[in-house]
Amino acid sequence: MEPVIETFESRKKHMCVKGDGLSIPVCDKASLPGTVTQRTCVFGGARIVLMPITDSIHLVHGPVGCASCTWDIRGSKSSRDDLYKKGCSTDLREKDIVFGGEKKLFETVVELKNLYNPGAIFVYATCVSGVIGDDIKAVCKKAEESTGCRVIPVQSEGFQDHNKTKGHWIGCDALLDNVIGTKEPEETTPYDINIVGEFNVAGDLWGIKPLLEEIGVNIVATMTGDSYVEEIAQSHRVKLNIVQCQKSSNYLAKKMEKKYGIPSLKVNFFGLEQTVASLRDIADFFGDEEMIDRTEKIIERGLAEVQDDIKEYKKRLDGKTVALYVGGNKAWSLVRAFEELGMDVMMSGTKNGIREDYERIKEVVRDGTIIVDDANSTELARLLKKYRPNLLISGAKEKYISLKLGVPFCDFNHDRISAFAGFKGFISFAKEVDASVSSPVFDLTQKTLRED
Amino acid sequence: MSCINIIEKERSAIINPMKTCQPLGAMYAVTGINRAVPLVHGSQGCSSFVRYSLSRHFREPSEIAVTSLHEDAAVFGGRRNLVEGIQNVAIRLKPSLIGVITTCSSEIIGDDIIGFIGTAKKELNEKLGQDKAEKIKIVPISTPSFVETQLKGYDNAIKALADHVAEPGEPNEKVNIIPGMVNPGDVREIKHILNLMDTEGIILTDISDPFDSPLRPSATQYKPYYPKGGTTVEEITDSANSLGTISLCKYAGSGALSLEKKYNVPVELGPIPIGIQNTDQLLRNLKKITGTDIPDSILDERGLLIDSMADLSGRYLHGRTVGIYGDPEITAGMARFVGELGMEPKMVITGSKSPEFIKDIEKVGKETGVEIDTMVDQDLRTMEVYLQENPVDLLIGSSDARLIAKEQNIPLVRVGFPVFDRVGYHRKPIVGYNGGLHLIDLITNTVLENYYENEHWKLQQ
Repeated sequence: MEPVIETFESRKKHMCVKGDGLSIPVCDKASLPGTVTQRTCVFGGARIVLMPITDSIHLVHGPVGCASCTWDIRGSKSSRDDLYKKGCSTDLREKDIVFGGEKKLFETVVELKNLYNPGAIFVYATCVSGVIGDDIKAVCKKAEESTGCRVIPVQSEGFQDHNKTKGHWIGCDALLDNVIGTKEPEETTPYDINIVGEFNVAGDLWGIKPLLEEIGVNIVATMTGDSYVEEIAQSHRVKLNIVQCQKSSNYLAKKMEKKYGIPSLKVNFFGLEQTVASLRDIADFFGDEEMIDRTEKIIERGLAEVQDDIKEYKKRLDGKTVALYVGGNKAWSLVRAFEELGMDVMMSGTKNGIREDYERIKEVVRDGTIIVDDANSTELARLLKKYRPNLLISGAKEKYISLKLGVPFCDFNHDRISAFAGFKGFISFAKEVDASVSSPVFDLTQKTLRED
Repeated sequence: MSCINIIEKERSAIINPMKTCQPLGAMYAVTGINRAVPLVHGSQGCSSFVRYSLSRHFREPSEIAVTSLHEDAAVFGGRRNLVEGIQNVAIRLKPSLIGVITTCSSEIIGDDIIGFIGTAKKELNEKLGQDKAEKIKIVPISTPSFVETQLKGYDNAIKALADHVAEPGEPNEKVNIIPGMVNPGDVREIKHILNLMDTEGIILTDISDPFDSPLRPSATQYKPYYPKGGTTVEEITDSANSLGTISLCKYAGSGALSLEKKYNVPVELGPIPIGIQNTDQLLRNLKKITGTDIPDSILDERGLLIDSMADLSGRYLHGRTVGIYGDPEITAGMARFVGELGMEPKMVITGSKSPEFIKDIEKVGKETGVEIDTMVDQDLRTMEVYLQENPVDLLIGSSDARLIAKEQNIPLVRVGFPVFDRVGYHRKPIVGYNGGLHLIDLITNTVLENYYENEHWKLQQ
């Protein structure tokens, strides 16, 4: 059997073709040292989960680089506060490395509390604070007692694991241990839900929220897009958790089920079919006849609104191929959405997949689809060169690799500026995909002046 | 009367940083070498977030390898990761040079980088054969993130190249130029000036093509992919034999000083050639080193800039107050240039702590007669608070303060790093007389847009 692409012996099994014997790649292994990995660190994973909490200060305890390269890079939108957009650091210096950074951390927390009076201060551990052994938990506890503000330790030392998924879990744990269940709601309704794993990137939440409110559920907290800490604190009394980004947040839903008995539903608001199925699942869960009727009407109206608007795009996108190389959830949740546009997903892969992620990818892609795990930039370039998809979906680090090879690119990461979720989101999605795939520029890139 | 008031940071917290850590500077410097690979010895985040920052600013791929340190390495040391990492880079990518860039964690755990490189070299000799293995230079670059800023990391990288790659040989009649952390457009402008001066330069290092390279899929079919351009290792080796070194960045002089000490290559440090006087100084330095007279073509370019200044400064710019923030070198250069335009640099603020910077601003204060509030070792929060009490007509600096500018309703001219919310900035120079032209257009158009009524076109004449 021909290998998917040429690469190191140890990396060969990280790529496979569905239906071709091995349908799940080897995964969840440390990246090879010396490659240009597309992965990030555990600290990054934790930050991704928590950073969208809008009324909080996110303080990075480490040298300045960890904060300065990551502040305000999450494209999560807010309808209220913008405290979460501030880049805060304890800026550890040489003397702190020698004598420890705990005193400085304490002072910094107190300053930030006095300046901003935030809903909470999340304190992220970095590699350095881990190596020098600062006791972040103890400092947070002391600072909380002294300031009266929630000060929440996030044990996210970057080197802890090869997989940023661990960072997601650490972020979720910070909420489970310190926020969720710390305040009783004044009122509850039989239709209370939380939206888990929705980070409101580009305003996705605002495409989902009105639909949910219209079917008659009451959203207590979103974890964590466009949220306040006090809302999350009361989230333990809901009747249902719906989980959008299952990669980062299934962990949270499962733990809430165990601790508070809250059942959860996996939902997906990318693509029409998935949006419809998710709305029906939620209505069915509550089993309220009126709600089910309302939901059907919302679905009918939603689909009608979309069909005309996407016709033109579908015509142009029909039969085009797309490769997905993303952080996690999107590797399976977007597949149907592309197929609804008439496109063919020829590759799907993730940077941090674990076995259950690849099980899900395998479930949704057709035979012959390439499935890749942790492809480094050389491998990614080789995949693009060899299979030449009409579109790559990924993030900012991959964007320019793709474009340099003349492969159209569409952002589905933090940098995205259009909301893609729900019925209306699907129109923006189709429009952006079309704008990338159908750009005349990519005809020019294939032409050459010389016959070489 | 003193012309500057120095305000030092009083807070412990950094709120919205105006600086970043050393490894970024080193990664930037190594990217400017032809077929070289920066290899970061640290956690994956240390490379991925920097790659993200660089890609966002330059709109280019940023290929930086990492040794992917995990918990076991933090406990037992990163030897295995580094040795294996070097081998994987060497065998797969066959680079001309590997820059081994340390991070806070690898510095603190005390990895013996030189020793590990020795081991890696031995193993490479066995695997690739001595001939092939020796063609790959492996350069240790020490960049502890908890010391100073990205400029120090850049400086350390250039010094490492001078110490580990430069070798004495025949005199070459060339001039070494250390550009500092500038843009592709700036490096191209410097090369243009050298060309007009009929002087060959060795740019340490030349990011102009690697961070602004052509899209030619047919050309990238060759594997592995390296961007076009960059300074060759041979040129860096030859830098020991140059007529002299000019560092356009005062904070990146260690490499130049090392070449002077070891190989008697004379040094001129700074200033960054932004504006008339600073560019004049660069030309004087070039003349001093090469003995070449300044040609008419350059005098014409200088004349064009002064012509444009004469056209615009009195009419639109004079007396307008400016706040400038960012890296010390570029910030000091901009302060001097806006002073030359008759504007008033009321506030100059940087994330670094540096006596050199203060001296530079003192000079600008004397030249302009403006009392300048100078803030060192600061963050953008300090600037935000300052501006609430002391508004200015115009801000000059990176995209990072775009929200502050918007909130306080102060027009912002984007200069420095990073600029990610406007396009084309990295392609155009801010240095040299041509850079001055570009800047004066940017500044004046921003003033026109914000302080003149669009319908009264006569006002704009």
